[in-house]
Parts: sequence; C-alpha cells; structure tokens
Amino acid sequence: MDKPPPHHESISSRWSISSKDKEVTFADLGSKRIRHGSAGADSEMLSMSQKEIKDEDARLIYINDPDRTNETFDFTGNSIKTAKYSVFTFLPRNLFEQFHRVAYVYFLVIAVLNQLPQLAVFGRGASIMPLAFVLLVSAIKDAYEDFRRHRSDRVENNRLALVFEDNEFKEKQWKYIRVGEVIKVVSNQTLPCDMVLLATSDPTGVVYVQTTNLDGESNLKTRYAKQETLQKATDLETFDGFIKCEKPNRNIYGFQANMEIDGRRLSLGPSNIILRGCELKNTEWALGVVVYAGSETKAMLNNSGAPSKRSRLETRMNLEIILLSLFLIALCTTAAATAAVWLRTHRDDLDTILFYRRKDYSVKPEGKNHNYYGWGWEIFFTFFMAVIVYQIMIPISLYISMELVRIGQAYFMTRDDLMYDESSNSSFQCRALNINEDLGQIKYLFSDKTGTLTDNKMEFQCACIGGVDYSGREPAESEQEGYSVEVDGVTLKPKMRVRVDPSLLQLTRNGNATEEAKRANEFFLSLAACNTIVPIVTNTSDPNVKLVDYQGESPDEQALVYAAAAYGFLLIERTSGHIVINVRAEMQTFNVLGLHEFDSDRKRMSVILGCPDTSVKLFVKGADSSMFSVMDEESYGDVIEATKKQLHAYSSDGLRTLVVGLRKLNDTEFEQWHSSFEAASTALIGRAGLLRKVAGNIETKLRIVGATAIEDKLQRGVPEAIESLRIAGIKVWVLTGDKQETAISIGFSSRLLTRNMRQIVINSNSLDSCRRSLEEANASVARDDDDESVALIIDGTSLIYVLDNDLEDVLFQVACKSSAVLCCRVAPFQKAGIVALVKNRTSDMTLAIGDGANDVSMIQMADVGVGISGQEGRQAVMASDFAMGQFRFLVPLLLVHGHWNYQRMGYMILYNFYRNAVFVLILFWYVLFTCYTLTTAITEWSSVLYSVVYTSFPTIVIGILDKNLGRRILLSHPQLYGVGQRAEGYSTTLFWYTMFDTVWQSAAIFFIPLFAYWGSTIDTSSLGDLWTIAAVVVVNLHLAMDVIRWNWIAHAAIWGSIVAACICVVVIDVIPTLPGYWAIFQVAKTWMFWFCLLAIVVTTLLPRFAIKFLVEYYRPSDVRIAREVEKLRSFSEPQQNMGTEMNQIRDPSRR
Amino acid sequence: MSSNTASSSGGSGDSSAARKNSKRPKYSKFTQQELPACKPILTPGWVISTFLIVSVIFIPLGVISLFASQDVVEIVDRYDNDCIPAPARTNKVAFIQGDAPKACNRTLTVTKRMKQPIYVYYQLDNFYQNHRRYVKSRSDSQLRSPKFENQISACKPEDDAGGQPIVPCGLIAWSLFNDTYTLSRNNTPLAVNKKDIAWKSDKEHKFGNKVFPKNFQKGNLTGGATLNPDIPLSEQEDLIVWMRTAALPTFRKLYGKIETDLDNGDTIQVTLQNNYNTYSFSGKKKLVLSTTSWLGGKNDFLGIAYLTVGGICFFLALAFTIMYLVKPRRLGDPSYLSWNRNPGGGR
Repeated sequence: MDKPPPHHESISSRWSISSKDKEVTFADLGSKRIRHGSAGADSEMLSMSQKEIKDEDARLIYINDPDRTNETFDFTGNSIKTAKYSVFTFLPRNLFEQFHRVAYVYFLVIAVLNQLPQLAVFGRGASIMPLAFVLLVSAIKDAYEDFRRHRSDRVENNRLALVFEDNEFKEKQWKYIRVGEVIKVVSNQTLPCDMVLLATSDPTGVVYVQTTNLDGESNLKTRYAKQETLQKATDLETFDGFIKCEKPNRNIYGFQANMEIDGRRLSLGPSNIILRGCELKNTEWALGVVVYAGSETKAMLNNSGAPSKRSRLETRMNLEIILLSLFLIALCTTAAATAAVWLRTHRDDLDTILFYRRKDYSVKPEGKNHNYYGWGWEIFFTFFMAVIVYQIMIPISLYISMELVRIGQAYFMTRDDLMYDESSNSSFQCRALNINEDLGQIKYLFSDKTGTLTDNKMEFQCACIGGVDYSGREPAESEQEGYSVEVDGVTLKPKMRVRVDPSLLQLTRNGNATEEAKRANEFFLSLAACNTIVPIVTNTSDPNVKLVDYQGESPDEQALVYAAAAYGFLLIERTSGHIVINVRAEMQTFNVLGLHEFDSDRKRMSVILGCPDTSVKLFVKGADSSMFSVMDEESYGDVIEATKKQLHAYSSDGLRTLVVGLRKLNDTEFEQWHSSFEAASTALIGRAGLLRKVAGNIETKLRIVGATAIEDKLQRGVPEAIESLRIAGIKVWVLTGDKQETAISIGFSSRLLTRNMRQIVINSNSLDSCRRSLEEANASVARDDDDESVALIIDGTSLIYVLDNDLEDVLFQVACKSSAVLCCRVAPFQKAGIVALVKNRTSDMTLAIGDGANDVSMIQMADVGVGISGQEGRQAVMASDFAMGQFRFLVPLLLVHGHWNYQRMGYMILYNFYRNAVFVLILFWYVLFTCYTLTTAITEWSSVLYSVVYTSFPTIVIGILDKNLGRRILLSHPQLYGVGQRAEGYSTTLFWYTMFDTVWQSAAIFFIPLFAYWGSTIDTSSLGDLWTIAAVVVVNLHLAMDVIRWNWIAHAAIWGSIVAACICVVVIDVIPTLPGYWAIFQVAKTWMFWFCLLAIVVTTLLPRFAIKFLVEYYRPSDVRIAREVEKLRSFSEPQQNMGTEMNQIRDPSRR
Repeated sequence: MSSNTASSSGGSGDSSAARKNSKRPKYSKFTQQELPACKPILTPGWVISTFLIVSVIFIPLGVISLFASQDVVEIVDRYDNDCIPAPARTNKVAFIQGDAPKACNRTLTVTKRMKQPIYVYYQLDNFYQNHRRYVKSRSDSQLRSPKFENQISACKPEDDAGGQPIVPCGLIAWSLFNDTYTLSRNNTPLAVNKKDIAWKSDKEHKFGNKVFPKNFQKGNLTGGATLNPDIPLSEQEDLIVWMRTAALPTFRKLYGKIETDLDNGDTIQVTLQNNYNTYSFSGKKKLVLSTTSWLGGKNDFLGIAYLTVGGICFFLALAFTIMYLVKPRRLGDPSYLSWNRNPGGGR
C-alpha cells in the first residue's frame, strides 16, 4: 500500500466516518483506540491531528472556572430545546415554514388575487377555505408534535448531575450546567454534555462507555483520562489549566484539542472525550470538564431528521404539471381572447345592454363607467379571473394527497408481518416519506456483504497452526458442557460456546509436551491477548456460576477470544496496564507494554506483552496480505507456504482469514521501541503518522504462529432473495471489502454467481493493464450475444484506476451486460463512487443496502438507501431511507410493497390530473355560453369543496389500499416487478390518453344537459347542481371502474363520497341567502334531471370501458394475466405452469 | 398468508412479558392488507352483458323520451322584429326607447289539440342572464328581509337612487322583463293565470312578504318593468321568476298558465306590449305556448341521445361477441406474459 501521500491522506480523512468498517481487510482487528497510556491519536484523525488548531477556530475552556470561560464568549448553556416553537412564535413560525412549500404559495397567491375587487371571483370565505383548511390541519399536527418535544425537553433539562462547586460536588439540574464546569458522573449515569475526561475511578484513567444512544452500538468503548490530569484531579480547587479545542462539530468520532496544565501542553483526541447521551459502564465514577454543552454537543448536532429525497415519479410528474400549467394558460387565454372579441364587437352597446350596463348614470352629468377599466384591462382581468376559477387545473391537492397516501403506505409497510425481524426484534422502518413509490422501479441493487448478506455473527471455524489445518468439529449434539474454569469457588464460563476441534483440544491439554502442543498454546495465547476486547463478568441465577462476556468493537475479535476461551485461554480481566488470562485454570498476568492499534494502512494490530516468565513478546495479528510481508520468510518459509495454501482453501470456502505472528523482543529492541514510541505519542504534529512508523519498525521478522478462519454466516433467505431479485430484473452488485476468493465463494453460496456464468475478473495493478482488461472484457461481452450470462468481478485496486476516469464508461458497459457484478476489496469511499458511476449513466433507479458506517456514503448516494439495523451500529440506519432487520426483506419490500406503491401512486397521479381537469373543463365549457365571462353555474362552495371533499377521499383510500395483485403471486413471479422498471404505471402516453378521456368526459357531462335544457326554463343553480352531481358521480365511478380490490373500505370511500357530495349540495341549497336556494329539490323532482344523469354517466364512461376491455383482452399486460390467473385458476396449477415457463429464462431483463 | 398467520399465532405461546416487549406488528387482516375483497375483472361475458343491458335499458328509454317530446304541443311566435313598425326598423333601439305606442297584435293558430295546463312563456335568445356582471348584481339578503335593505354593495350601478337604497336593487331586478301579453281565443278573452308561476320555496323563504319595492326604476335609466310598491316582493311572481337567472343564453320564463284546453284550429289573438329592449344586442323575443310532458318541454335531444347510446352499446355488444368468437384469448394464459412472449430476454 505505497500510495503517494496526498492521495493517501484524502482516503483517511474520508474514512473518518468509516471507522466501524467491518470488512476483514480494513478492520478485522477492530481496535481503533490506542489503549496504551496517554497516546490518544487516532489513525482516522491523521489529517486532522497534523494541523494545529487556529486561534480563531478554537474555543478556550478554563478548567473548573466557568465564569472565566464564559467571560468573553457566552457559550451555549446545557439546556436543550428540540421544540421548534413557543406559544408566541408558533403562529408566525409555523406559517412561515408551511409556506416553504410551493403548493401553499400557489394557494396563497390565488387567494390573494381573489381578494382584489376586480378579480373577486369567489367570496372571501370560499377562496380562503382550502388554504385555511390545509394550514390548520398541518398546524395542529405540528403543534402536537412540538408539544411532545417540549415535554421531553423539560424532562431532559431537569435531570440532575453532580457539579463541582464551592469545593464539593453538588446536584444541579442539567440545564444549568455551563461550559468549564467539572462534573462527576457515576456508573450507569447518562452524560449530560460533552466533556473531556480528567480522572476516573480506575488508576490508569480508563473509562468504559456505552454509546447506544449515540450510534446504537451496544458494546463498550474505552476512553481515557490523560495521565497528567489523573493526579491533579484529586485536588480540584487548585486545578489550573485550560483546554483549547475545536469549534463544535457533528463528527462523533473526531475531536481535537490541546490542554495546557502547569505550563505543559498535552494533545487531546477523540479517546479523551465522552459525549452527551453515552452511559458510563463498569467504572465507578469519572470526572470531566464540560467542553460542549446543550445544543452544541455532538449528540445534538447529529440529531438531524431523515434525509429528504424526491421520488422519481414525482419528478416525472412535474413535467406533466408543467403541461397542465400550459393547458391552464391556454384555457385562460381562450377565455380572455373570446371576451376581448365580444367586448370589441359590442363596444358601442355596452352602456345599454341590459346584462352589462357599463355606465353608472347616478353620477352626473355624463355618468361614469362602472367596474369597467377599458378594453385592455378587462381582458387582463378576465385572464386572471380565469386563473382563479380554473386554479385546480394544477392539482395542488395532489401534493397533499400524495403525502397522506405515503403516510398510509408507510404505515402498512411498517406493520407488515413479513418484514418483522424476530432476532433483532425490529420491524420495518420508513424513514423517508417521499420515495415509497421508487421502491417499485429499482433496476440496480448495490449491496454490502458483511452484515447485509451475512449475519455479521462471526464464528470461529478453523485454525491453521504451524501450517497444519485443524478444522475438525465436535459433533453438534456433543454432551460436553463447553469450557469452564473454577476460580475461588466460582465457576467462570464464557458466554458463548464455540464448537471445538477435538484433536486440537486434546493437543492444548497436553501442555507444552510436544512442539506441536507448544505451538497450539502459543496460538491461543496470541488470540486471547492480541486484541482490544473487554471481558465483563456477569452474574447468573446460580451464584456460583459467572459468565464472561466479551465486549469489543470487532465481531471478529470477539469470535477469536471466545475461541481461545473454548480451548482454555480465558481472558478474564483487562486494565490499561495488564491483562489476566486464565490458562487452563492457572491465572497468568501479562503486562501490556505497548499497543499499536489497527489501522487500515497497516491492516494489522500488535501488542507488546511482558509475559509471566519476564520475556517480552510482540504479538501481531492482521490480514494475510499485510502479514506475510513482515514474516521472517527465511526461517519459516515452508510453514508460510503451507499456511498460504491453507488460507487459500479457507477463503475459497468463504471464510474470513487472519494471520497471527509473534516475535520475542530483547531488551535493546524493547528499549529502542519504547523511547521512539514515547516520542511519537507525545508529538504534537503528525502523531498518527509517527506512531504508524514506530509500529511498522517493530512489526518485522515475525515468526508465523498460525492463521484463523472465521465464518461469516449468510443471513437466512439470502440466496432465495437474490435469486428472486435477479429474476425480477434487478441487477445485483455486491460490494465487499473481502478478498476475491472469499467474495466469489460468498457469491456462489448466495446464488449471486452460478456455475453456468462466465466470470470476467478484472484484477489489475496499473491504469494500462486495467484499461486493457476492461476493453478485452467489453469486446468479449459484446461478441457473444447469446444468453450466456456473465459475471463481472473487479477488485478495489482496479477500481482506483477506473473511478473518476474515462474507464468508467467501459466498466459501465461491461457491467450492464453482466447479470452479476462483484466488487471485492472495495474501500468505503469507493462504494459511493461505484453507485455514482451507475447513477450518472442511466436513468434507472438504484438502491443501496448496507449496515455499517462504511455504507453510509453509498446509501446516501443511491436513489433509495436501505439500512440494515443489525450488529453494526445505527449509522447506516440513520442515513437510510428505509431500515429493516434482514436482507431478505428486500424481496417483499420491492416486489410487493414497491410494486403496489408504484402502481398506486402512478394511478393516483393520473387520476388526480383527470378529476381536476374534468371539473375545470366543465367550468370552461360554460364560459363559452356566458358571454365569455367567468360565471360558474356550479356554486363557489362546490367548486372549492370538489377537490377537497367530493372526490379526494376515495383517491387517498385507493392510493393506500388498492392492490393490483396479491402478495403471493407477486412473490412467486418476480418478473411482475418489471411493470415498475418499464414505468408502465405512469408515462407521458398514459397522461395523454387520460387527458383525451378527460376532454371527452367533461364534454359529455357538460353538453348533454346543455342540449337537453336548451331553450328551457332551467335556471343557473339547478343546472349547476346537475353538473356538480354528474361530475362527482362520473369521477367516482371512473375510479370505481379502476379499483381492483373491492373491500369494504373501498366501497365506503367511493359510495360515501358520492353521498357526501350530494349532502353538501343539498346543504348549500338550503341556505336562503344564496341564489341557488332550493334549486336541487326543484330540479331533482323532474324526470329530466335523472334522465340526464343516467345519460351522462353511461356516455362518459362508455369509451373508457370499451377501450379498457379491448386493451386488457387483446393486449394484456403481465399484471392483467396474473390477475386472471389469480382469479380464475386454482393456485397450484398455474404456479407450476407459469413456473416452468419462467424457469427457462435465466435472465429476464428485457431492456 | 396462511403460513404467516400460523407463525404469528404460534408466537403467542411466549410469555406475555416477552410479547409486550416485542415490536412485532400485531397481526390483523387490515394491517397485512388482506381484507376480504371482491376482485372483479373484465371478462368478455361481463362486458358483453353489460353492453347488452345498457342497450336494453337505453333504447326503450330513448323511445319513451322521444314520445314524450312528440306529445308536447308547442306554438312559438317570434315577434321582436315584426312588432316594430316597418318604418322604424332601421333604428329599432330608438323606437323601443321612444314614446311611440308599442302595442302589437299577433295571431297564433293551434295546429294540434293542447290540453291544459298550457304554459305561456316568453323566450329570449342571446340574452346572457348568466353574464358575470349580471348574476352578481343582486342582494339576496335585501330580498328576504327589510332589515337588510341597505345591503346594496353588490348592486352597483343600480344600488341607490338619490341616496336611497333601491329595493330590489341590482341589474337583474332592474332589467325585469316588461312585455305583456293579452290573449284571446276566437275573440273571447283567454285567461292567463299568473299565480303560482314562481317556485313556492322562493315565495315563502327567499322573497320576504314584508319587503316592498322602493325607489324601483327611479334611476336615470329605466331598464324594464316597474313594480307596484304596495305589493310585497313575495307576491311579485314575475320578479321572482325573472330573478331565477337562466342558465343559458336562450331561455324561457314562465309568463302564466292557460287553464283551458285549446283545440286544433283555434286561433289565438295576442295583444302584446313590446316594451323590452333586446334590440341593442340583437336578442330575439318569442312568445311560446306549450304543453308539457312528464319529461318537460319539447326537446328531442335526450331521446335521440338515448337511442344513440343504446344503439352503440348494442353494436359494441355484437362486435365484441363476434371478436370473442373469432379470436378468443384464454384467460390467464401464461404464454401472453411478456417474459414468455419474447424468450431470451431480447435486448
């Protein structure tokens, strides 16, 4: 890994979020924090720690002197306020925020226009009503949510903490804590603010914290107080010093500061700070000085909401909205133009025309124009009045309906039984509410491997010691109890049992009798010692039995320590200075003299132990690629060769491998190391780099001890899920940090790769060779056009050359033609690059799924990000749009819910366009018969209520509940997912069909009564009521015609809506002060009314009904066929039938 | 989802504490979107029978509508042009605004026996009672109660006369139709009953019986009829009828009812006062005597529409039947599935 420094730096800085990386090559050793003494550098902070904090970017904190600290700058206090509003600010702020939505602004502009006397089309009440209604509903919702936040804020702010004041610790409410104060936290307490550790109950300054509230990780993390402050803190009164630290930021894994006490300058890193929200564990007490409080704590800064994305369908829809705006403008222009012509031709008669009467003769002498501002202005006013009357052509209510529908859909997704994960007790989470329907259009799936495809529950499988493989297993039902040991009358047992190889167990029991046994013991001692695991002894119901639980940041390490325990090397205690290992019932104490934490450049970690026999040994553990280069090949060449062979076999079985080595250090070597280590760890600049160099110098000429193989088990249902997704036409890309062999074997076991696929492996070390092999691959893929499927396997090194380069195109072409893509040895930042590569080149939807912090960038990059709420913290979940427990839930999520949501939303958008346009067109046709003035026969209240009450409810219900196909058939025939991928549910063609239908329907609704009542005594209100009811009935029946599942809710919504509309019309007509008083009763008495209504309903829906049938019968879509199968045939028979035909085609992608 | 149900009910065996702790969504048919539902699909049988049913209903309805329309006997007499003396026809507006006598005699012949009640309408063409300026120019509260007689803001420019509110105000009332007809049959006067020509609901609730016309037609420009200030609005049925503004620019308004039968060959002499000015916008005026049927007036449109739609449905039923017989498709035939139609996933 000899990369030029600049490049290298950028990698590590981008890795700052990826410290939780679980891929074996990067974090297999897991430990991130140096445990030795006060060396507080983090490799991930490399680029940060090399910089000095500039004065203007720093905040200065005087320890235990809050007054002085807050003298110049008044730092934020510790009271938090997550609530947005207070009683007084609620109204203005809430309104302000609501009007951020364009839709509401449109409403507002229209309402304001309507208030101008010249343009007053609707009365005050009617024009404001819809906007007021929507605002009110949202405001009530917001107010309720804010009330709950206020309540929780109050509880949080009034919690108590021990603050050092007047020479003693006093209880103080959290909200009064100030920056600079010294606080004492006791075990199991939650931290009130971010503080730098000064001292702890542990003499070495170690403190354990649980960060569940912060990042969801339940394992314990270690933090340290500086050696220099440990003693000083006993006498706080005289504690004099200050901390200069960076300004508050949201990086929970980074912290950079200097502390100056007694003139000495110490540097502080992320391991010296404990954050608000963490819980103190296994430590009696800890003292710290507050550096960030309240809203400036990292926890609060990270407290951001779900990401906001916009769905593809909505983006597409905006195009049609623009078209509709053009229609609107066209309608208004027509109205204005015809009005202009009429006014012009009658300009001489306007004064006397009985129904116009321009002049007001009460004003002497000549009379003046009444409400007439000249020809030009009249046209202008007509235009804007038309805009007001036809406003719902732009279906603003659609946006609100869509939000409601998505909430409903989200409800059903979260409540889905199929997506509940028993093992982690987590149900599906819908974090982003805007992109439900995108789930139905996914074409590319990018998946992390560890923790996503696999369980991330590591299980120790094989050991290779001295080149000899021990991979036998005791029978599963063995009677053996597992290893336990008795210490002082108490039986200690590891919490997890590991199945052991009987022959190896026998060997270790022999003590150091043979050379083989000695090596085996050495091997397990290394496993037990060389890690950062914290053993925690917990009580059980039996007072004589205690369980040893291993807490650590890396599941690999946990697996290894449990394995060591099973073979008799029970790690019992760890402090910063020593570890205690129970070696077959004999307690042995090892002094920890030094520890080089894992970093992703070295890809190994090491620990220097002073053994009970006074020898000093260096234990190193790391990825094979990095370990073999530091082995003493001359002396142990044959063992290394044997081990390499064995490792190859392991990784072919899909196991994760690690290599362990050790070296005895002589005194001079140790002294030399010690002095350079001290120098490096106190360096102020470039500390991490120096430490790495020190580590590199000592980690050489190692003797190989052995290698381990850990199985990362596939999650349940993963192969089936991947197969389903592939049949559904989704291209699955797996991005993993694993070795190529491991990745390929996982690929096979997860059915991503199949035996009849041709593998193309791109594995290059330079730009040129990479280009060559890619072009070759491209040519070969292009050559064979038969259905031989191809799998592309590319490694991270090659990707370095490909990404951000013209080779991206070639890779994309190759990848497009491959049915599976496997990227191995991928660095976290490359993951996002790969997603971007696809996303930028195609309009197809991408979905990324992952579980770790290293997947965050990828999850955010993809159109849809899915987080697995599993072992590795909650970083991925926090960044994701949807979160769930298991990979296999993707299948119901995409194939069932995605399919439904897409189809529902697509239909709903078209239907909403239609229902509003029908109404607008009815209003428009009437204008042609009112002398081109904006009279509406339909009452203004009906106009307003039409889109809010008369027709909105059914579309929302249908948008949430209708299913075009049942769950079973969608799952058994994944190809049906293609409907969304081919965007069959919503397209410009469908839009135009809908619009033609709309014109026909509106014309039929309008003109049938017009001709039937022409030259009759019909009055405006009666005819208006007929039109209103006809429109409502037709629009609802139109929906009814397209409803696929009629359950009682659908019935209630549709028929209820018609009834509600009729009731509203009646109510409006019993108000005597409205011109339409009693009209509905008068008109409904006549047969004519009912004859018209019947004729309208049949005539409007006739063409649609006939065409719908013709299309469905003679050009059936997949969905239609599947519906027929679902309805007409028994289930088992067609399944076989369709199934066999389905199986002939391996790759169903048709585009 | 039977397997699903089974597994979730199987889980209920757990202790209740564990159950409470579990975030497993409570199973219900609603949350799993498995509510019992009917899922109709359009099969040829359904569609063809729907069309047949529609045609079976529509064709008879069309026939009876046409018959109803045919039953109506209607006499229409356009008089706006003829009732202006020939010399004045060059400037009709001047004539109608002038003081010359406006009386005019018309003779109508009954061509078919008309049964009572025979409705007398006046019909106006090209008169936009639905013009926006016009329909807004009224005060409904003023009409109801004397309390609100000052609510005249919507009525401009016909809102007040010399500072006094006009009751009823507004353009609609102002332009009240004022042609009058006196009918006689075979030289004997023919009574036209002008009672109960307005909606009962309007008379009882919309137009107040304590509201009397005030300052009506006292403005500088007289629009139409005057009202007797001693009769409350609720009794002014011509006004009430007129103020039910017509929906369409060609409309009839009820003038009165003849409550005797008219026989074939009867001649009706009409003496009318041609006062109303529709000439400035070339509006036509017609006098209409018409019987009604249960479906309303004489209008063949609905009958024809029903016959047409019924005919189309019958034709479609026939066409679909033939298509179904000639080129049937087996429902649920998987060979129509897109991935079976072009195997190999043709790119």
